[in-house]
Amino acid sequence: MDFRDSGPSQRSLVMLAVVACVIQVALSPQISIFGGRFNAMLVLAGTLALTGNAPRAVYVGFFAGLFYDLTASVPVGLMTLLLTIGSFALSHVSNAGTTGFSGTSIRLFFVFSIVVCLANGIGLLLLGYEGDILISLGAHGLMSALLSCALAVPFLMVAGSANQGRGGFTAKGKGGTRFKSSSSGKRLRNLR
Amino acid sequence: MPRSQGFSTSLNNRRQSTGLRPVIVLCVISILLLTFYIREGESGPIHGVRSVVTTITSPVRYAGSVVASPFNALGNVFSNLTASQETLSDLKAQNEELTAQVAELSEAQETASRLESLLGLQSTYNLESTAARIIGESSDAWSRTVTIDKGSSDSFAINMPVCNSAGVIGQIIEVSANTSTVRLITDENSGVSAMVQSTRAQGILQGQPDGTLRLEYVTTDADVQEGDIIVTSGIGGVYPKGLPLGTVSTVVREENATYYTITVTPASSDTENNEEVLVITSLNSGQQASDEEVAQANDAPQGTSRTSGSGSSGSSGTTGNSGSSSGGDGDGSGSSSDGE
Repeated sequence: MDFRDSGPSQRSLVMLAVVACVIQVALSPQISIFGGRFNAMLVLAGTLALTGNAPRAVYVGFFAGLFYDLTASVPVGLMTLLLTIGSFALSHVSNAGTTGFSGTSIRLFFVFSIVVCLANGIGLLLLGYEGDILISLGAHGLMSALLSCALAVPFLMVAGSANQGRGGFTAKGKGGTRFKSSSSGKRLRNLR
Repeated sequence: MPRSQGFSTSLNNRRQSTGLRPVIVLCVISILLLTFYIREGESGPIHGVRSVVTTITSPVRYAGSVVASPFNALGNVFSNLTASQETLSDLKAQNEELTAQVAELSEAQETASRLESLLGLQSTYNLESTAARIIGESSDAWSRTVTIDKGSSDSFAINMPVCNSAGVIGQIIEVSANTSTVRLITDENSGVSAMVQSTRAQGILQGQPDGTLRLEYVTTDADVQEGDIIVTSGIGGVYPKGLPLGTVSTVVREENATYYTITVTPASSDTENNEEVLVITSLNSGQQASDEEVAQANDAPQGTSRTSGSGSSGSSGTTGNSGSSSGGDGDGSGSSSDGE
């Protein structure tokens, strides 16, 4: 049986990943507001974790964190670890219905973003890369989390529109049917 | 009924994949990566991978730098656009175009003046150096670094000092084939052997979390005043001696303290995108501190008396009266290497 997944299609996923990588490498080093910077990898991991697909969220979180660590001047492995665990947790907290741009998804992403950024600040403090807890958490951590939340809005919209454009497996359902297979007639007949 | 059972069973199998196994495996890999990264020091396989990734992504960095560069003059453009709204519509477009041209020419003029200043610095200090351009800052919020557009293919190496027309801005900490990462002196992991230019009092200039600079380990019997110029001492063997680092902004002498608390305003207050910098590729013997100078710094870290006619109160701001024992043994200034 071939059920479609509730998240954005593979094509949208690849597109989001490429855009996030370009933003992370090209624009994040150029823009700093009140000590914070965009973390496009956190946005990518969070957006895909909100689809509720835990295994995929874990892998995306791991590779997104690794890309962040390799392109920034930070210890390699810290953001990797945080995004792996964070994506796993977020994918379990969220359900298939929370994907896309909605109040629930924004709230969940906000919490995810704050927790990851503050944990990163604490990690850098413990590793000796930062010396002041207030600046590390307040200025850098909090501002980065807020900027990442702002960047997450278009990503969630894209993820939501990619999900809406498909008549596949969805928690919201249409016409009273909660679960739908990818093609209605033939595949169900093949089940018999 | 059989169809229903099959549907339900298959769905439950899909739901049972919670991702717990991959998360455990990937967390272990992450922790191992972190451990190896910290233990391998300045070079190793993980740093090598980072260097490769930096090389691969450098074209995108260049592109981002080019895209962001016009926004350096955004303030002027906005003010001019506001004024043009009051003019006739056919003049509006022309006005915008001229404004953009002015912004471009202003940038070019600033670039020319910066290059002239760099040439002046190069000739004044007789530096063996290579010019490079800043193409971006750190992509994370926690470190103060910049990326320049030249790397190991231009014979750049780790620990090479970098300066702009105002003075030292930092040193190279990572090198890839065509880019280098420069840790700024305002980064809190940065430290430069420094001295007060007028009295030769020795210290270590360290970055602070708030982006300021602090001159550490200057004993309270040294003569330091607001406005004193801080220069590199050359003792660490990394920076050439005598390059400007900043100006003393506050000097605080706590009661019973051994060392002053000295805040320094950086000579190069802010690095900006597309700014030209000089990477000092090698030092000649005259630019390094001689053995005599090192011995003198160890023997008398507090320096000498001020040669100019100014007073030698030694402090300003919150000045205590007691606790002026010399205390300092020169460890702070003499034995620490630059930039580490």
